[in-house]
Amino acid sequence: MNTDKNDNKIKILIIEDDPVITEFLCTGLKYEGYEVTPSTGGKAGFDALQQGTFDLIILDVMLPDTDGFKVCEHIRDCESDIPILMLTVKKEISDRVKGLDSGADDYLTKPFSFDELLARIRALLRRSGRIHESKRLRAGAIVLDLETREVTKNGKKINLTPTEFGLLELFMRHPHRVFTRETLLNRVLGYDYDGGTNIIDVHISHLRNKLDDRPPHLIRTIYAVGYAFHPEGANT
Amino acid sequence: MKVLDKLSLRARLGLLYAVLLIFSVVVVGCYSYWNIWQLFISNKSSQLRARAKPIIEHWLVDNDLTKSNNPHLKLNPEKAFILARDLTSRDTVAIVLNRKGDIIANGKCLPEEPQAPIPDKRYFRRALSGENEVTYRSQVNGKPVLVLLIPLRPRPASPQIFGVIQMSTLLTDIRKILFRHGTMLVSLVAIILILGIVTGFWLIGVSLKDLQSLLTSCNQISKGNFSQRVSVKNHRDEIGKLAISFNQMIEKLEATFASQQRFVANVAHELMTPLTGLRGSLEVLLRGAQDDPSAMARLSKGMYREVNRLIRLCEQLLGLSQLESCSNVHKQPIILSEFFNEFKANAQVLAGGRSLSIQQGPYVKVSADPDLLKQILLNLLSNALRYSPRETPVVIRWKLLPEQVEIQISDQGQGMDRETLSHAFEPFYQGKLARLVSNEKGIGLGLSLAKSMVEAQGGMIRIESEPGKGTTVFFTLPLE
Repeated sequence: MNTDKNDNKIKILIIEDDPVITEFLCTGLKYEGYEVTPSTGGKAGFDALQQGTFDLIILDVMLPDTDGFKVCEHIRDCESDIPILMLTVKKEISDRVKGLDSGADDYLTKPFSFDELLARIRALLRRSGRIHESKRLRAGAIVLDLETREVTKNGKKINLTPTEFGLLELFMRHPHRVFTRETLLNRVLGYDYDGGTNIIDVHISHLRNKLDDRPPHLIRTIYAVGYAFHPEGANT
Repeated sequence: MKVLDKLSLRARLGLLYAVLLIFSVVVVGCYSYWNIWQLFISNKSSQLRARAKPIIEHWLVDNDLTKSNNPHLKLNPEKAFILARDLTSRDTVAIVLNRKGDIIANGKCLPEEPQAPIPDKRYFRRALSGENEVTYRSQVNGKPVLVLLIPLRPRPASPQIFGVIQMSTLLTDIRKILFRHGTMLVSLVAIILILGIVTGFWLIGVSLKDLQSLLTSCNQISKGNFSQRVSVKNHRDEIGKLAISFNQMIEKLEATFASQQRFVANVAHELMTPLTGLRGSLEVLLRGAQDDPSAMARLSKGMYREVNRLIRLCEQLLGLSQLESCSNVHKQPIILSEFFNEFKANAQVLAGGRSLSIQQGPYVKVSADPDLLKQILLNLLSNALRYSPRETPVVIRWKLLPEQVEIQISDQGQGMDRETLSHAFEPFYQGKLARLVSNEKGIGLGLSLAKSMVEAQGGMIRIESEPGKGTTVFFTLPLE
């Protein structure tokens, strides 16, 4: 889902009345390369649906003007197959059943983790055929297999630690994007990792050695900021 | 008594019943036995007297004693023997005693005739002193006899007594009859007792059956099964009434329990929404949005709002729980006009430049907690301000009612529909308007908190509202 490169971005409609949740959904999803349209209620959501086409809808069950189940049914009545991901606080099975019956494709209970939300979105998009996620990421001579978690360069296998693999995957998914050390630390080692950011420099240096990455680097150091991945360097 | 306490109610009632039954049946049996015995005795003695009377009169006439002035001089053994012999029969023997108490004639001649008992001096003296009906029981050779003493008078009712006839008769045949009667009585008593105790226990069991099912239900309920109800067969007796009020109590308990659960679920729901916002915002920041100052600012403002919302929620929950324990209500006399003069400043801050008028009512002194009263007013005032247009005024006034004062807060906002009004005091209930209008989201605890606070001070709260025209909240406080 190398969406950064493509102009035809995946479009997501968010129907959610809580401003804070809407805010982080918009910001987070934009960072992930999606095009996001927020709307605060069922009615506004319908209007947005009429004006544009969307690849996925994130729908809150508790809306000020109506409830999510009705919105869901209405969307199913008009437009057939757009994937709908429902958000709700209720954990009761009856509610899940009701949600799925009304036409939702998946279900997330608050408070959810953003990573899980992203995974669900990807799964829904894949299932509905809206993205064809390659099982392999390529950058010149380097091939990263997401299923076997193997990395090869010119067909030769390179052994990477999980952290190094995670770093390379992140770079290859977002070519040219500049990551700060802090962000890399959070994304690869987890949000609750307490150590300093120097550890990232160590991992990057190991990764460069293993990839035989000589200047001009594939993984470039951006002075005073962090690192960025430049796949065109892989040919040299 | 301690042993009794250990028994079940059924056993105790049964035992009491059995003891009472045995006691009464035995008393009745003994009384009837004694009564029959008395009847037999008196019957026998009157029979004997009736038989003796003509014989004695005949004898008196034959011996010319009726007109004699000194009849005792004429009483010799020969004459006495004739009389004694006449009075003696197969089961009765008569002896004649002179005034000194000496036996002058004994009627017993044949061996089958019973022996006469030795005269008893006490009874003899009573007979000699003129008592006609001296009757007593005695024994001869271990056999029971009935003894009758008849004073001898020359004429009926004459004070001259010249001798005493002692007639004695065996009671063995009466004894036999009585024995038969007694055994019949005892077996009857036994049958009555057995039947009575069996039916008694059965009856007690039947009437305690509802109690037993009550007990079973109680056990079920103590295990947490609140849907349990006692089936009541008889609605009129005490146990039936107990079962009915028990069922009512359980119904209330079940409702309270359900509302408690609903409340907890609502609290969880209200906690989850801000937590979702916080967690999501933090994750997005950590994933890299922290490097973008504008995203950072937007997300942190949102997080700040959510944290404030959580704090507000916690404060209100704490307030509710404190009010429910009633420990924090400190009532004191408050002069309303003075209170509102002080309150005006707080209210103006809340109103933020909007038109707010506090109309002074009559001079009253109420009994209330000033802190709670202030909270109630701020609470209701912020509701009124939130749900009415900026240019419309909010008015606070009060009026005197019998023994209480009624405070009103009116706005000219959009009002509430019937549906919203009926749920207005429910914790976490928010009308459609509340969810649409407020940019800073309320929690839905304000009115239920206000209600608790008013009620904790002994007042009542109600709302009158007309959609499109406005809302007035009324609450009362007791006068000092």
